[in-house]
Amino acid sequence: MSRARTIDHGRRRFLTRGGAAAAASVLGPLVITERSIAQTRTVYVNTWGGSWTAAEEAAFFKPFTEQTGIKIRTVAPVSYAKLKAQVQSGSYEWDVTAITQADLLRADREGLVEPIDWTIVKKEKLFPNAVYANGLAYCALGTNLAYRTDKFPQGGPKSWADFWDVKKFPGHRSMLNNPVRSLQFALVADGVPPDKVFPIDVDRAFKKLDQIKPHIKVWWTQGNQSQQLLRDGEVDMMVMWNARASELKQQGLPVELVWNGATITTTMWGIAKNAPNRKAAWEFIQFAVQAKPQADFANRLYYGPTNPDAYRYVSPEVARQLPTYPENAKVAIKPDTVWEAEHTAKIQERFTQWLAG
Amino acid sequence: MAGGVTATAALPRAAARRRARRGAATPWLLVAPSCLVLIVLFLTPIGYVLLLSVTDPNVSLGHYVRIVTVPLYSRVMVNTFLTSLIVTGLCLVLGFPVAYVMARRRGWITTLLVTIVAMSFWTGFLVRTYAWLVILGNKGPVAAAYAALGLGSPPRLLFTSFSSTLGMTHILLPYMILALYAVMKKIDPSYLKAAASLGARPGAAFRSVFLPLSLPGVVNGCLLVFVVCLGFFVTPVLLGTPRDMMISQLINQQIEELLAWGFASAVAVVLLAATGILLTIYNRFAGLDRLWG
Repeated sequence: MSRARTIDHGRRRFLTRGGAAAAASVLGPLVITERSIAQTRTVYVNTWGGSWTAAEEAAFFKPFTEQTGIKIRTVAPVSYAKLKAQVQSGSYEWDVTAITQADLLRADREGLVEPIDWTIVKKEKLFPNAVYANGLAYCALGTNLAYRTDKFPQGGPKSWADFWDVKKFPGHRSMLNNPVRSLQFALVADGVPPDKVFPIDVDRAFKKLDQIKPHIKVWWTQGNQSQQLLRDGEVDMMVMWNARASELKQQGLPVELVWNGATITTTMWGIAKNAPNRKAAWEFIQFAVQAKPQADFANRLYYGPTNPDAYRYVSPEVARQLPTYPENAKVAIKPDTVWEAEHTAKIQERFTQWLAG
Repeated sequence: MAGGVTATAALPRAAARRRARRGAATPWLLVAPSCLVLIVLFLTPIGYVLLLSVTDPNVSLGHYVRIVTVPLYSRVMVNTFLTSLIVTGLCLVLGFPVAYVMARRRGWITTLLVTIVAMSFWTGFLVRTYAWLVILGNKGPVAAAYAALGLGSPPRLLFTSFSSTLGMTHILLPYMILALYAVMKKIDPSYLKAAASLGARPGAAFRSVFLPLSLPGVVNGCLLVFVVCLGFFVTPVLLGTPRDMMISQLINQQIEELLAWGFASAVAVVLLAATGILLTIYNRFAGLDRLWG
């Protein structure tokens, strides 16, 4: 019960207490176990699992444990809802979370993340722009147009306008089931200059999405699923995360990805408010954003390092495929995180209705 | 208090009463652990969900009004029930003959069928869902058969209502078959012989003897499949289209993406209530204790 803290969150106070009491009575034994484990110094990390976590294991977790003796355990997949539930109930499954920048901002505004502990994190060890919304920048992720080169021998699509052009580029398509990305790509396809996409003209974007909707065979939700679609030729072009597309290329599949008009979003590290192992967690995060671990991660999974020094440890061939590589970043869209954090919930609802309609 | 004589006489009687009381308490003691588990792990969270549905973010019945008035949500509800109904019907049509053969025949064919049904029952449903992605996919056997017969490319099968219904039917079919089989194998074969000796043709004997006796299995199987289908999640997500959204997907999305726990709770309560009503009707007419054969 001592873990059930009062959260300064007026409208949910009643529920919080009820929930905490219920959770404490149910989870009582679990919480005690968790605390006794904490004494052996383990940090629990909420992350995406699969090949993502395999790369983290090699680049961050193993070297960190070797250096400090602090163990890392992971929980997948990343869940904002769980972050909120943990903080409200006061019983924690994990301390650190990998999280998109927009979600971190939302969480920070809701009081769900721990402020940076400057007694542990050292400013001089960080790179410019590392800090945002009480988190540290983890990596940059590209959301690109990817296509099967064998289906387009005359040359594939080169822009979102081409993706929308079903006459010139016939074939099955798939998009990511994500409202803000979809709206954004629709606007670019409609001729909005990349730097004018935000704030999003939602009505205009939905009108443009109406045109492509009949040609979208699948709205995918998981990275593995997206790879399966392109690998098996279920679709000929699709919205895809850059490292997933690069992975297919490495496996020798006829796949190409387009940086023109791609989105580059930043993934962050954050700590759940009042997480039991927060001190060790800050140590971990500080370690993970250093140049060498970030480069090790990028070499395994082609998401871009946020620490510019990391490029010293990345070969030029790999560097060219990363979202933070200057040539790529130049032609891509950087979303307005603040706008996204404030509007996502509302747009999500409309998007769901639109999809089901 | 009483004298020595009454005291000694009272002793064995008191002991008997204590014994009797202990006897009455024994069943309670036996069920206490499971009751406790149910209260803590089942009733408390459900009570909390119920509470959330009318208090989050403020005290009102607004969420329930929204379920009924917003077309998307009422459509998801209707779609869930319709899909469950179709899947249940398909399971019954496909499962009845299999269960019939399993119950009426002896020997290797029964063993084979039981093995197939049980293995399919024990194979993870995620695996079975992915299997359909392969079977109906561009490089799967269906596409290959079309190409081999010179029919060109097959009609679009994957990511349609058809594939999602097919996947769910496949996953729930073992439930139906096992429920039917449990009842059918208890039907005494001599009843059918008696019917035949009285001049009934096999078809008539089946219709007027076997079918009525197997009805409890039909009801059990349909109830099981229908209720499980109401809560289906992964299969429609992977095989279906956003238009075929089921209640569980809606709940998941409200919680995970919109953090609308109050609304998600209200949807969950509706699902729970629908299941509860079904079970109540069943209990009225058949008795819940017969559900497991």
